[in-house]
Amino acid sequence: MKTAELTFDRPPDRVAHEPPEIRGRSRDDVRLLVTVGGEHRHARFEDLPSFLAAGDLLVVNESAAIPASMAAESLHGSILLNLSTRFRSHLWIAEPRWAFDKPGPLPIQPGEGLKVGAAHVRLLSEYPGIPRLWFALSDRPFDSLVAEHGRPIHYGYTAEWPMDTYETMFSRVPGSAEMPSAARPITSRIREALEGTGVRIAPILLHTGVSSLEIESPTVEGQAMYPEPFSVTPETALAVNRTHAAGGRVVAVGTTVVRALESAWTPEGVRPVAGFTRMFVNPDRGVHAVDGLLTGFHDPVTSHLALLAAFLGIDGVRDAYAEAVRAGYLWHEFGDSHLVLARANPT
Amino acid sequence: MEPDLGDPERVALITGTSRGLGRVLAGFLAKQGYGLIVTARNGVELNAAGADLRSRGSPVVSVGGDVSDAAHRQRLVDAAAKWGRLDLLVNNASELGDTPLPPLAEASRENLRRVFDVNVLGPIALVREALPLLERAHGLVVNITSDAAVGGYPGWGVYGASKAALDLASKTLAAELKDRGIAVVAVDPGDMRTKMHQDAYPGQDISDRPLPEVTLPFWAWLLSQDPMKVTGQRFQAQAAVWEVPT
Repeated sequence: MKTAELTFDRPPDRVAHEPPEIRGRSRDDVRLLVTVGGEHRHARFEDLPSFLAAGDLLVVNESAAIPASMAAESLHGSILLNLSTRFRSHLWIAEPRWAFDKPGPLPIQPGEGLKVGAAHVRLLSEYPGIPRLWFALSDRPFDSLVAEHGRPIHYGYTAEWPMDTYETMFSRVPGSAEMPSAARPITSRIREALEGTGVRIAPILLHTGVSSLEIESPTVEGQAMYPEPFSVTPETALAVNRTHAAGGRVVAVGTTVVRALESAWTPEGVRPVAGFTRMFVNPDRGVHAVDGLLTGFHDPVTSHLALLAAFLGIDGVRDAYAEAVRAGYLWHEFGDSHLVLARANPT
Repeated sequence: MEPDLGDPERVALITGTSRGLGRVLAGFLAKQGYGLIVTARNGVELNAAGADLRSRGSPVVSVGGDVSDAAHRQRLVDAAAKWGRLDLLVNNASELGDTPLPPLAEASRENLRRVFDVNVLGPIALVREALPLLERAHGLVVNITSDAAVGGYPGWGVYGASKAALDLASKTLAAELKDRGIAVVAVDPGDMRTKMHQDAYPGQDISDRPLPEVTLPFWAWLLSQDPMKVTGQRFQAQAAVWEVPT
């Protein structure tokens, strides 16, 4: 698939700049676009349980965001170093940026040093195929630098909010550079309503890196991906396989869950696995392990949009997003939600 | 004086370090402060590689020679012994044998012997000779393998059979050395734009293959794992998923 095809039309003002709770609204007070079989329905997020049925399985990501953005002093002046993927305490993939609202790449030479607080950080070499990312080695554990100097990663379209803004009710294991945001609107009452319907919930873990990659290669499939630590437990693998065997739907809450379950998928079913994945779920590969996705609205020419196109095809994405634009839905992590299902509730 | 970075007391021995994958991996480790022992048959290229690695701030010992030569291997082990430990042994030097690659049934006995000498007997001997140093460091042995080991591709029989033997040696050594705290893995780096790959496809355009830098994320990952948790595994460096057995 040509990267140039991974686009849609959207006016520039369709971005949620702040989380609903900042204005005293509930987190679940957002809209829900439901796309099933080429049809779109407009709903509120609180209606989510009515689109699911007993025997369906929601899979959630238990990873919690860490304050991964740190001020750094470089040869080029004061910059930001946003951590992305942890290999070990001293070695991460990181993104040096001019500022939260000004991306790189910076004119960095391999081996160049930075100072983060009292720590010396050395940018070893570029990540192959993704020139804005670097292998970063610190003489002090990054974990302690984050605790001391870290702030939540944010970009130009929104302010920085308190750290708990970036948590969901499933956040349990710190490690993501950015919030896995799809579960943000799931509140206790939504969860109780889901469980009352007979929908079960199972966890995976995937520590997500810095924002959805802009695809820079001429073809979508040619884009380099960076790895992310993940695990699927035996219990969750069993729950997914039993749901499928019983004719239920497995619905991923967020693109991170799709990546984890597809990475654990074999033609015999989903198996327990732990490691790192850089699997790129795109229309060429398709989806096998999941029957639905609850997610936000994604930017053009990103790996997240390619993942959505793996469910809907690019024409299906454009059709859904045209509807979302027409009806005034809001994009990004504090915006509205989109539920995509391969098939509707049994009637 | 450079600030102390990361793990300065780690020592790595990489064979076939003058170019291609070995040189890229050595450069990555040099920037992380590893003490390096590098070796290759081509002394001129090796010296250039050694100077380049030293400029990145790491101590580098460069020893020219052939891993099928016992006296040369002794010099490599002696160099590691001066540091008192060996944290990482990468058996990367490989021999393609006669080119253009002959069909297996037409390969000469000399060709087979030479390829097995460098690709199988040399690595096993290096492990044997470096055992005390590896044991002291709870070291990791990485044997560089190839998809030719399992492919059955026409023309790749000599090289592939040697790598298949190396795969079995890796698995067996892993099982035998586990109790001594030494880990052994096999790594298939995948197709890359290297001189060896070009030698295998004389006159063909291989510019669509990625440069060996494509494997750096894998090395960053592998060398951050607890070696005992991955010992006995065979990894593909360019794969989408790198798994730790659970």
